[in-house]
Amino acid sequence: MTMTDSAPVAVTEAAAGPEPAGAARWVTTNDCRIVGRAFMAVSLVLGVGAAAVGVLTRVERLDPSAPDQILGGLNSWFQMWTLYRAAFVLLVVLPLFLGLAMAVVPGKLGADNLAFPRAAQASFWAWLIGSLIVVVSVFAGGGWGAMDGVTAAERDAMTLTLLGAGLVIVALLSGAVNLATTVISLRPAGMSLLQVPLFAWSMLVSAVVWLFTLPVAAANIVVVYADLRGRDPVAFGLPESPGIWGQLDWLVEQPAVYALAVPVLGIAGEIVPDRLGIRLDRRGAAASIIGLFGLLAVGGWSQDYFTAPADHRDELLYVGVGVAAVVVVLAFCGALADAARRGSVRLQEMPSSALAGSALAVVLLAGATFFGALRVIKPFELLERSTTTGVFNAVVAAALIGTAAGVWHWWPEILSRPPSESRGRLAVLLLLAGGVLLAASDVIAGFLGAGDRPFVGDYDSGAVGGLNAVAVAGSVLLVLGLIAAAAAVFETMRPDRPDGPGAGDAAAAGLLRGAGS
Amino acid sequence: MKTASLPAAAPVRLRTLMVGTLFATAATFIGFLALVSLYVQQRQQARSGGGEWFPSGSIEMGPAGMMMATLLMSSVTVQWAVQAARADDRPHGWMALGTTLLFGTAVIVQFSFVYQSTGFEIDAGIAQLLFYAVTGSFIVILVAAMAFIAVTALRSLIGPLDTDRGHAVQAAALFWHSVVFCYFLVWYVVFITK
Repeated sequence: MTMTDSAPVAVTEAAAGPEPAGAARWVTTNDCRIVGRAFMAVSLVLGVGAAAVGVLTRVERLDPSAPDQILGGLNSWFQMWTLYRAAFVLLVVLPLFLGLAMAVVPGKLGADNLAFPRAAQASFWAWLIGSLIVVVSVFAGGGWGAMDGVTAAERDAMTLTLLGAGLVIVALLSGAVNLATTVISLRPAGMSLLQVPLFAWSMLVSAVVWLFTLPVAAANIVVVYADLRGRDPVAFGLPESPGIWGQLDWLVEQPAVYALAVPVLGIAGEIVPDRLGIRLDRRGAAASIIGLFGLLAVGGWSQDYFTAPADHRDELLYVGVGVAAVVVVLAFCGALADAARRGSVRLQEMPSSALAGSALAVVLLAGATFFGALRVIKPFELLERSTTTGVFNAVVAAALIGTAAGVWHWWPEILSRPPSESRGRLAVLLLLAGGVLLAASDVIAGFLGAGDRPFVGDYDSGAVGGLNAVAVAGSVLLVLGLIAAAAAVFETMRPDRPDGPGAGDAAAAGLLRGAGS
Repeated sequence: MKTASLPAAAPVRLRTLMVGTLFATAATFIGFLALVSLYVQQRQQARSGGGEWFPSGSIEMGPAGMMMATLLMSSVTVQWAVQAARADDRPHGWMALGTTLLFGTAVIVQFSFVYQSTGFEIDAGIAQLLFYAVTGSFIVILVAAMAFIAVTALRSLIGPLDTDRGHAVQAAALFWHSVVFCYFLVWYVVFITK
């Protein structure tokens, strides 16, 4: 009989020594799940803050003739207006997906950790420090430009904002490189890239898209920073104009804004068939669609600031990419609809938050791409209208709903206990309602002639005023949805109490979930 | 029969560090390419308006060409390190990595000479601002590559250049070659075509 003295895993654990506890664990850990949770927890908090800033800017818009009722002036309003956009990209949506993927993807590939666990930890702390610098500097008078003159102190605060944004971009890039390497290098031998789980595949596509997008934004920031740090700003860092934001606004416009939502397709592509108990037909086609959507989301080439008065956005390529995005997302919707047709959907039963959330996120994304296509079509002249913000809000809401669905579906990888299903449904519903109201009001206001920056240019009408009130309601719902999701996640993220409800190890929790689904 | 405890066989993995470095190199290169594109676009715009980019005679070709030659030599030495790693030849590996670092330091010194000889003020105009933005970013990337080479050299001190460390040398060499290509862009765009 063959015997072994001890299991190899025991040797490994003994060599590793005792795991630190408490706060030390969060600082020193190499566990991808803990780093993923940390990313998600902080970005949820920042998400609530960013959404609250959105409410303030929306309320201020209710009276366009007096943009100083709440925020204290045109500059403050512009700072918050830009913070809302930049924060949702750099401080909320991208890190949320990174955190979810860091916690979930290695396990899906059969790996016990990320390719570079310490780099993941470093990327989290660099991102956290950069995020704090951005937030603090904006509230100290910084931001991405101004509309009404600045003091020397505000100019210094702006350079700090740029520094923080640069650090955040480097940290996110580091996390993206880590994830992409994990999917490529740590997948099981014999598994081709098109065979990896769809969420892992979508994160690989997203990471590559971010690698093509974020460095371009970093290059923009380098130029602006060098100009602002020079004795007198020359051309790119003139803080008295909104030009600094003008060099970065392509990040929140088509096609780059779709880079925020590529993982939504992967999440839905896994959750919907899984919850319906079937396999996705033509899985390779679904993976190809995700890859194609990623290709259409590469957007650094479309920035218009430096090419003025010529504008790439008037060219056929820009229009073609905008229209093709609709076709691609609709094709993916078709694949999901086919899965629903073949699966066991029972309309009399309330769908789970994961199933409903992932499907609705894709539908919302399809809506965003549809209005995005209308935005780029010449006769409508919507490029500088509030439709731009409408598309951005729809994409952000889709990303938030998709992440919530992912957390509720893969909770054993992220949480200590199963999150409340009713709270999950509530969060999805609030996020969906908020996203739809925000997007619809901005899109319709764009058709009515409202500019993307409402205090600039000619705009005011009774209809647009009414739509602004709808947008306020939408932004409040978005805050409430984020609070509901964050509360449910934080409550179940804490370690099990030995005698508490839902106590048990991850394996038992997994069994529970399996039985529930 | 009783056997000694044996660890599980190592899973077959693609070269993780190489793949990660490839992605990091791509990201760095794209960022730098964006910067150079911006430089070219602004120069084109200035010239199409009939304006001058740099004051004539302000940029000398000699130091720029010398930097290109230095970096090309460093490409050879870093490849020498890769070959030494393959042959598990530590003395040659250290010598090659050390020489590469020396060449990198030489380029930084030459850049300081270029900055002194041109005497550009950063706020003198768009050309001067972008000159410092592009070359300064290149120096940052070069320093990062030198740090990568230095860490690889230090890691090789603690043991033979086995497969893993050999991969680390290859990864460092990959990043270094990309840095040399970045300088080629600077040399051609900023110094040759001025």
